[in-house]
Amino acid sequence: MADGKSSSETAGKPIRCKAAICREAGEPLVIEEIMVAPPSPYEVRIRIICTSLCYSDITFWKLKVPPACFPRILGHEAVGVVESVGENVNEVAAGDVVIPVFLSECGECDDCCSKQSNLCSKFPFKLHPWMPRYESSRFTDLKGQTLYHFLFVSSFSEYTVVDVCHVVKIDPSIPPNRACLFGCCVATGVGAACKTAKVEAGSTVVIFGLGSIGLAVAKGAKLCGANRIIGVDVNPDKFEIAKKFGVTEFINSKECGDKSLSQVVKEMTGGGADYCFECVGIASLVQEAFASCRKGWGKTVVLGVDKPGAQLNISSAEVLGSGKILTGSLYGGIKAKSDIPVLLKRYTDKELVVDEFVTHEVKFEDINKAFELLVGGKCIRCVIWMDK
Amino acid sequence: MENQRGFKTAGKSIRCKAAVCRNPGKPLLIEEIEVEPPHAWEIRIKILCTSLCHSDITFWEISTGPYAVFPRIFGHEAVGVVESVGEHVEEVEEGDMVVPVFHPNCRECRDCKSQKGNECSIFGKQVTTKMPRDATSRFKGMDGEDLHHFFHVSSFSEYTVVDVVNVVKISPDIPVDKACLLSCGVSTGIGAAWKVADIEEGSTVAIFGLGAVGLAVAEGARLRGASKIIGVDLNEEKFEIGKKFGVTDFINPTGCGEKKVSEVIKEITDGGADYCFECIGLSSLMEDAFHCTRQGWGKTVILGVEKHATPLAIDTYFLLRGRTVAGSLFGGLKPKSDIPMLAQKYINKELNLDGFITHQVSFQDINKAFDLLLQGTCIRCIIWMD
Repeated sequence: MADGKSSSETAGKPIRCKAAICREAGEPLVIEEIMVAPPSPYEVRIRIICTSLCYSDITFWKLKVPPACFPRILGHEAVGVVESVGENVNEVAAGDVVIPVFLSECGECDDCCSKQSNLCSKFPFKLHPWMPRYESSRFTDLKGQTLYHFLFVSSFSEYTVVDVCHVVKIDPSIPPNRACLFGCCVATGVGAACKTAKVEAGSTVVIFGLGSIGLAVAKGAKLCGANRIIGVDVNPDKFEIAKKFGVTEFINSKECGDKSLSQVVKEMTGGGADYCFECVGIASLVQEAFASCRKGWGKTVVLGVDKPGAQLNISSAEVLGSGKILTGSLYGGIKAKSDIPVLLKRYTDKELVVDEFVTHEVKFEDINKAFELLVGGKCIRCVIWMDK
Repeated sequence: MENQRGFKTAGKSIRCKAAVCRNPGKPLLIEEIEVEPPHAWEIRIKILCTSLCHSDITFWEISTGPYAVFPRIFGHEAVGVVESVGEHVEEVEEGDMVVPVFHPNCRECRDCKSQKGNECSIFGKQVTTKMPRDATSRFKGMDGEDLHHFFHVSSFSEYTVVDVVNVVKISPDIPVDKACLLSCGVSTGIGAAWKVADIEEGSTVAIFGLGAVGLAVAEGARLRGASKIIGVDLNEEKFEIGKKFGVTDFINPTGCGEKKVSEVIKEITDGGADYCFECIGLSSLMEDAFHCTRQGWGKTVILGVEKHATPLAIDTYFLLRGRTVAGSLFGGLKPKSDIPMLAQKYINKELNLDGFITHQVSFQDINKAFDLLLQGTCIRCIIWMD
């Protein structure tokens, strides 16, 4: 076992450790011992401290058809310590605390060099079973079977290997069960409000879907000085929770009666919201969000990921004549290496409080409880601690 | 008849000629009509010249449904002189040179006062076939029937009555035929490039449809220093014309073989255009335009009027990758502040409008303007009133 050994003892060698493997769609993960290969050039092997469960993990846990693949190590929101680095890695070293991120920032391509894009074109985002640079996996089970990677992170393992373009070094004094949230939900939501939408002070914002992403958008909107932050959800229990995140008013989308959701929003806002965020991943809900935006300058931001091939149908006359804007982003427009440290500083300065996201904490061996809680709508973020 | 100032017709109905459309898609008929004096908040304008825009044709062709309304006086791109004003009109007076605009600008509502967008929340609710405030017509045919207005302008008439929110005063220093262009198509294109898209120097731009609007987008993009301006049109002749407006590359969709237009554009721009404009009015092209924009920051601007109300289908996959879709009427411009700005740029020789005017006819030959635009080689045909 690797625990207790210093990284100088394990560097360059395969590590035997525990991982939670998804062997069949929708079935509980199985904790098994696996082998984690040493990092190849440009790679970093990380000992995970803690990880949290995101609905995107659930989507690919349940999915039976490609791009789902099995057996796979899921998990993409985490924080860890560098155990060893491969050749050509200079920006981090053994002992550094890092967040592995599913979106790459190579720093060299046109997108990375532009302030306007966070979609690295050198290592584009995709649902890939392998490491980004080499079509290979660093994981095998004890029978030698290849285990597939997930979103270039695979954090449901005591050790993982991540490409250096997907790693950001962070302040080690940040509590890990707060830092891990910046690997996905907090950055996505705050980024969407502040970067993608650029919500201005005094705005009226409507958030469709009060999961972690939606709640993080609320945090971001509040930081931007939004005046009204209206949360829309099918679950009325979300309202009390959402108030802690800055949501000022609530719409239960199941209680609109004869009216459409967008009619209710327009009545509440005197004509429509300045900004609408779709944080669920349903094309028809995006259409409602677009309809709920104010004419003239209303902006609809799509964050939720629908099924592959999902299409919106928007009236071309409305696009032409309403002055509304429709846009979307991955990871809230956040660039991993450039922006996460800035967001973390807002956390340490106590400007951005994220404690309320963590509603549950479990040990690694109880990782399946996290799945039950999230699928049952009973948690916001459940943090999974690796054994110390 | 009347003087340049102190029109003797003030307060009375004016009998004059108008090109009346009585049947969809059929030649207009020059008839004598009566034009009532302006009511409160209205302005009666003597039209000097007008031009034909494809949106006139779109509605002229509609034969069924709620938009098929006859008899009607079309025309919405024009310039004229104020003949008389109704009560409460203070911003213009008899003799002023004005451009009527279909897009309202009351300057008092929250939208008009905002820097963002160009909606007018008071008058922008819908376009009707009568006067916007009291829903009655100012035109009567010789047998006393009401004639319908068009886009709140109706410029295919020697005189028309327009609400003050649809009127822009301009400098008499700009030649009238150039001023006329600023009433719709050219302003729409330039506004879309400068305001809706806000094209930066070095950008790559693709334009679907090289009519007056598309060419105006090209001109606007050229003035901003775009590095590539790709024009997409079925008519090869448009390339030579387009070059004068800054078009650098031309794609004829029928000449692409197996490849889709969006693929060709992605090759030319090494991944996708920064900005793509749809200037025709077909949702399938709007979708193509969306697919030829670059990930990260690619923006699609919809300017064409879809006459079949076919919805636009957008894959969320592409939206999530940083693409934006926006549309606008009148290029996002606020008529009363921006038309004079464009006119001044023309006067200062910073903006070229001359190239848009390819033909001229007299009012009695107005139907020739329709033929020319439908044939496809005309950009703008100026129709001169006597």
